[in-house]
Amino acid sequence: MAQDPSVAVASGPTVFADLDEVDILIGIPSYNNAKTIGHVVRAVEAGLTKYFPGRRSVLVNSDGGSTDGTTDVVREASADLDSIMLENRVGGFRKLVTPYHGVPGKGSAFRTVFEIARQLKAKACAVVDSDLRSITPEWIELLVKPVLEEGYDYVSPCYMRHKYDGTITNSIVYPLTRSLYGKRIRQPIGGDFGFSGGLASFYLEKDVWDSDVARFGIDIWMTTTALANGFKICQAFLGAKIHDAKDPGADLSAMLHQVVGSVFDLMEEYAAVWQAVKGSEPVETYGFIYSVGLEPINVNVDRMIEMFRLGVKDLGPFYRTFLPPDILSFLADLARADRKDFAYADAAWVRTVLSFALASHRKAVRREHIIKSLTPLYLGMIASFVIETWDSAAGAVERRLEDLCLAFEREKSYLVERWNP
Amino acid sequence: MNSPIDNIIIEPLREVIRKLVAFLPSLLTGLVVFAAGLLLAWLIKLLVIRILKLFKLDAAFSRTGVTEALQKMTVKDTPAKLIGRTFYWLVTVIFFILALKVMKVPVIDKLLESLLLFLPNIFVALIIVTLGWLLGNFLGRAALIASVNSGVKIAGQISRAVKGLVLVFAFVMAFEQVGIGRHTLVAAFAIAFGGAVLALALAFGLGGKDLARTFLEKRFKKDGEDAKPDDLKHI
Repeated sequence: MAQDPSVAVASGPTVFADLDEVDILIGIPSYNNAKTIGHVVRAVEAGLTKYFPGRRSVLVNSDGGSTDGTTDVVREASADLDSIMLENRVGGFRKLVTPYHGVPGKGSAFRTVFEIARQLKAKACAVVDSDLRSITPEWIELLVKPVLEEGYDYVSPCYMRHKYDGTITNSIVYPLTRSLYGKRIRQPIGGDFGFSGGLASFYLEKDVWDSDVARFGIDIWMTTTALANGFKICQAFLGAKIHDAKDPGADLSAMLHQVVGSVFDLMEEYAAVWQAVKGSEPVETYGFIYSVGLEPINVNVDRMIEMFRLGVKDLGPFYRTFLPPDILSFLADLARADRKDFAYADAAWVRTVLSFALASHRKAVRREHIIKSLTPLYLGMIASFVIETWDSAAGAVERRLEDLCLAFEREKSYLVERWNP
Repeated sequence: MNSPIDNIIIEPLREVIRKLVAFLPSLLTGLVVFAAGLLLAWLIKLLVIRILKLFKLDAAFSRTGVTEALQKMTVKDTPAKLIGRTFYWLVTVIFFILALKVMKVPVIDKLLESLLLFLPNIFVALIIVTLGWLLGNFLGRAALIASVNSGVKIAGQISRAVKGLVLVFAFVMAFEQVGIGRHTLVAAFAIAFGGAVLALALAFGLGGKDLARTFLEKRFKKDGEDAKPDDLKHI
């Protein structure tokens, strides 16, 4: 069987011999995603064909050494253009399957994508996860068009999510990032982004590719780097995000350590930037925003409250080394409260998170211990949030989160005053 | 001919005075050496504290939990001051020994010789105990946080057990270093540890499996384990 000339297989980040420039580059990092990546590749191909006819485009699959035939699926996957009422491809669509090198992780896979984008002088790029089940061709339009036609450098995703999906994002990452850098980026660690070729080159110049960014912190790093360096940013509403569970057995404290640790790391790097920012402003959002009814989900609030109480009791002496007395007293009172009175006040939660950030900054104790010890308090906050919003619709929950964000913005001076004592 | 009083009292007294006069230069030299040692010890203490502060050692110790542990033991000094004070006493003791050596008293000479030969062992033992204590604190805290995050009810006890075990190991190694009960201690530790494990295995496995089950369920089972799992997605 003759090999498809539109597919290149590279052992390194090499490019097509007959192609030295492209308009659009879509990157898909992968590692053993044979079950889902075919759908993603087809959606990308259909999106590029439908919305960017006549544009030279390339799909780069940056693979971490899959053993389940992921790369074969990428090579063989092809969109059924008839089904989306498209007859021909007008522009050129190519696929490049390449392994990435360096530290194993999504960040290293992205680095390879950025390198190829620079070599091919791509004007607009996007990266999408390989485990997506809900990606449609429209995602490609929404992530690429703002860059290609509106001059944006970075397109952050917005998803329709269940009110209890993304609780770390909702209670820590979004409000903290928003209050620090002054832009209302709703999903700073969304995972699917659009960006300009210029921003890809800027990312490449950063000396982070042997750090945690290469392993797991790439999403928040990309967003924060774009925010803190004044790149033009917008959001794209992509609809529902359904993807394979990352790792059902993943430890929550390890997750918190990775995500919150990455945010705290970036606070060190961009201290001068965020200290000068006051308040926040919305960013342009593209896409047709809609919502659907809420499916019931299981949430074991009692278990979360019990974990919170256990944490306050056993980690109390440890918390005393870096939490202020008013928060310690609040936590002790909350641990004694019944379920019906269990309410983690916004102001107290903000002070808690900021005190953890300050302790991490001062390196008063080993940083990993500090961040992992946030787990029971985070569960207390989520339990309180679930109790309060159990009967609320998505819009009401979003307004509730807005209140939390405003509390973070109000308390920012607390952080600034104590950052450089 | 000397009178009995001369023989019994005067002559020995003269002898003592003669020896004291002969010893006086050595005594004075010894005192001068000791005084110089005190002065040097004081200067070294100041220098060490200044250097440690320059390298922000207090912050580093705070990070590893040393400061917290010192405060628990009602030590008010910062680690830098404590190390400075240790150097002060080390230099003072060295000069005290030197001063005694200068005085040339045969009995003290012999004692000093043995002590000097033994000092390195004591020093190494102290280092072992200090490192064990630091490691115990660190691992104890790591165990505490991991246990709490896993919902284990006896997180505090696990943490103390980890810390205690590391300290016991450190002390056994330190005692072995200084030669106290070299073989007895290691054997006793191995027997006690092995015995405890065996006893627990027998008690829980054979003697009272129902009791053990109830106990384990009560103590280790995470709360709400029987309940439906959460559908929460944190990220």
